[in-house]
Amino acid sequence: MGSSSSRLSNIPNGQELMQETGFSDAHLLRLYERFQFLDKDNKGHLRSEDFEAVRELSKNPIGDRIVEAFFLPGQETVDFPSFVRVLAHFRPKEKNRTREGAQQEPEPANSRNQKLKFAFRLYDRDRDGKISRVELLQVLREMLGMQVTEEQLQSIAERAIQEADLDKDDTISFDEFRKISFHADPHRNRTGEARACLLEGKQT
Amino acid sequence: MAVLGPGPARFWSGFTMVLLLLTGSSRTRDVLTGHNDTWREPSTATQEDHDPDPHNGTNSANHRKAFPVLAFNYGHVRKPFEISLWILLALLMKLGFHIIPRVSNIVPESCVLIFVGLLVGGVIKAMKEKAPVLDSKLFFLYLLPPIILDAGYFLPIRAFTENMGTILVFAVVGTLWNAFFIGGMMFAVCQIEAAQVSHVDLLSCLLFGSIISAVDPVAVLAVFEEIHINELLHILVFGESLLNDAVTVVLYHLFEEFSHAGTVTAGDAFLGVVSFFVVSLGGILAGIIYGVLGAFTSRFTSHSRVIEPLFVFLYSYMAYLSAEVFHLSGIMSLIACGVIMRPYVEANISHKSYTTIKYFLKMWSSVSETLIFIFLGVSTVEGPHNWNWIFVIFTLILCLLSRVLGVVGLTFIINKFRIVKLTKKDQFIVAYGGLRGAIAFSLGFLLTDNEMKHMFLTAIITVIFFTVFVQGMTIRPLVELLAVKRKKESKGSINEEIHTQFLDHLLTGIEDICGHYGHHHWKDKLNRFNKTYVKKWLIAGERYNEPQLISFYNKLEMKQALMLMESGSAAKLPAVSAQKIQPQREAAPQRTIPRIPKTREAEIRKILRANLQKAGQKLRSYSRHDLFMDPFEDDVTEFRFRRQRVEMERRMSHYLTVPAKRQETPSVRKVWFEPEHKVYTYDDSESPGGGAVQLKPRPSDTSLLDESPKSTDRSPTPQSEDQSERQKPSRCLSDPGPNEDEEGSSFFLS
Repeated sequence: MGSSSSRLSNIPNGQELMQETGFSDAHLLRLYERFQFLDKDNKGHLRSEDFEAVRELSKNPIGDRIVEAFFLPGQETVDFPSFVRVLAHFRPKEKNRTREGAQQEPEPANSRNQKLKFAFRLYDRDRDGKISRVELLQVLREMLGMQVTEEQLQSIAERAIQEADLDKDDTISFDEFRKISFHADPHRNRTGEARACLLEGKQT
Repeated sequence: MAVLGPGPARFWSGFTMVLLLLTGSSRTRDVLTGHNDTWREPSTATQEDHDPDPHNGTNSANHRKAFPVLAFNYGHVRKPFEISLWILLALLMKLGFHIIPRVSNIVPESCVLIFVGLLVGGVIKAMKEKAPVLDSKLFFLYLLPPIILDAGYFLPIRAFTENMGTILVFAVVGTLWNAFFIGGMMFAVCQIEAAQVSHVDLLSCLLFGSIISAVDPVAVLAVFEEIHINELLHILVFGESLLNDAVTVVLYHLFEEFSHAGTVTAGDAFLGVVSFFVVSLGGILAGIIYGVLGAFTSRFTSHSRVIEPLFVFLYSYMAYLSAEVFHLSGIMSLIACGVIMRPYVEANISHKSYTTIKYFLKMWSSVSETLIFIFLGVSTVEGPHNWNWIFVIFTLILCLLSRVLGVVGLTFIINKFRIVKLTKKDQFIVAYGGLRGAIAFSLGFLLTDNEMKHMFLTAIITVIFFTVFVQGMTIRPLVELLAVKRKKESKGSINEEIHTQFLDHLLTGIEDICGHYGHHHWKDKLNRFNKTYVKKWLIAGERYNEPQLISFYNKLEMKQALMLMESGSAAKLPAVSAQKIQPQREAAPQRTIPRIPKTREAEIRKILRANLQKAGQKLRSYSRHDLFMDPFEDDVTEFRFRRQRVEMERRMSHYLTVPAKRQETPSVRKVWFEPEHKVYTYDDSESPGGGAVQLKPRPSDTSLLDESPKSTDRSPTPQSEDQSERQKPSRCLSDPGPNEDEEGSSFFLS
């Protein structure tokens, strides 16, 4: 299960991170090992080049958006706590975690709302709180690539905005976004499926 | 029967006439064949080169007789005649069932059909005739495949694969548990002195257990389809009923062999386990091979559209039969074939072929299901019975008990691995929905004929009756009582699709960052493999490049456009979207075309939405066998459609006079997308209603025309968009062959 040299005590602020994000120590350990693996030069933090080293990510249409989401605005590096905080969004929801302190937060990091906010932030690159037509077009262009014509993209974006935009301001706000995603997976909490990533802990 | 009015009374009298004709025919046949035989022999003796048709028997020894103007020769057509009569009877039953609405609300269709079968069986028995029994060969080779193919072809893939683990656990482990528990406990019961069945040995009990343990897809489909339960539960129970076929086949053959041999060794048990894997994986492999063949064949059918549906049916049937040859799981083979074949075939075949496939599958499966239930009833009355109180009662109790225990126990384990846990309500429905059906009966029928078999059959029939009648009838009120989540009618929304794909990419990316090869990772890899290699081989023309989102979007747009035109609210939506497309080239949202005021726009949209909703969301008492009443598949409406298309075109040309820069490839054929479980009832009464509402927006219509004078210098994109939109309907309807296509496009350009 990875190098045995790192233990929980080696992780800086391990305890606080565990409480803040709700990860168990085994999970945190695994994430730390992954972090160290990605951090090839042992700098202690990650830059975007380190993320790009993940081969699969480059094939992903929204790969660079995902990478971007790790970096707080204005920063160019990601340290371990930020890394973990982002991934905490995808931690599976536990019913009766008896972890002191974690329950007191008004909204744990992996609640549905937080997950949606995360996804929303991926769409809304300029962070103005709304998905404009331009941003939607960009997303579509990335996802569909070179195989479609510009008109098709336009009409899809058009239709999407028409369907979702309830207050007619020609942009999609977070509430409207939430309504869409509610219909998208009413029975399956799909945004939580990446829990397997953290539970199984297979590493390359 | 004071409830019946004049209509049903006439119907029932007609039915009894049909019945009498049927039995009467089988009686008179005996008299006639004797007569014909005596006639035929002299004639064949004297004239060999004559056509041995008995109608020409005049040249026989009885040459004194005058030429018979009318002859009665039933033996000649007896078999097809009787088969047709039975099918006709079954379909008339279905009709009758729907005439009496009160019955159809309480009693599921399967119950009524079994009841009818009982009646028919009773009548036949009263006439001391031999009734056709649900012969296993008839069942497994002719009646079962259409139902399974229908189910497999329209299987909701996404839901199925997402819950695959759970379904597999229920199907394999659950069925094994059921079989052994029932078999073992029944053996214990048989040891009770009072039962007088102590001659039944362990292996026979286990055989019996394996027959009766399997949840039956036909019964599940028949009952679950009517209660509109939510997708998760539906796919769980239904998936389980499909996949447990492999287990059933293996166990059945295993125990049958052993009960003949008498003893079981450890090596045999090991071979049994191996055989399970061989049966299931082999079946799936057979299905995949035929599926790929079918998809490949469909690539070349562009010049013979008429036989396209036949390929689908025949390849699937061959897959089933080939699997049965090797004692592999025919059901799994059929499912695999349908699942594999479908995406590629649908991309290749014409729209009409797709409709044909859909309708034929539904038709055949409907007839099969009806016949199965009726025959079940008839066989019940007919078959030799050996009623043993203790055996039957205990079987029943043990079936229920083992099902409940199995489901609860397995769910406890499964929930540790699931994200969306199964609640107690879900577990109850899954346990309660474990219906037994005709497969169990047919398997029992295949047993060697002895007294034990009759006892087994009696018990099996009792269990089937109990599950279908009691559980089938009570499940609907129970579902309502427990307030189980029902199926959500989701209109296909482009936003959902975008969001779903976006989430898929997102989760794949996160998994990659974590370094984990999870669910999404493999799904992504499969998709990529599919796109780069498989689609190239199996999809004709340039279509293989088309991303899923685009095809989805096109289907949505077309559906909406056609529905709007049919309902008479004409070109509002395309007008609105055409208008909005134009200025978005520049980053600034500045519009050169003045917008229609927001209130007007809201009005238009509301009206459009209302019409769409009216057209799209009427649900009758749903049955899987209801056909979509798509307006655009009707030849009559096509006429109206063409007229309105011209009108829309004229209106469009007001906006856009710039010729198109680019055209889509004219050979593109778009295939219809329909959410599988949606029923449209579209009746023409909508249009007058819709028309009345439309009077108001008419002024805005003209104002649209007025307010867009500057369309001339707009980019050519909207024009090509409209042209492509216009061309799509023509392509959709023009079929078969490329000739009509050209005619369609020239029709526009003129």
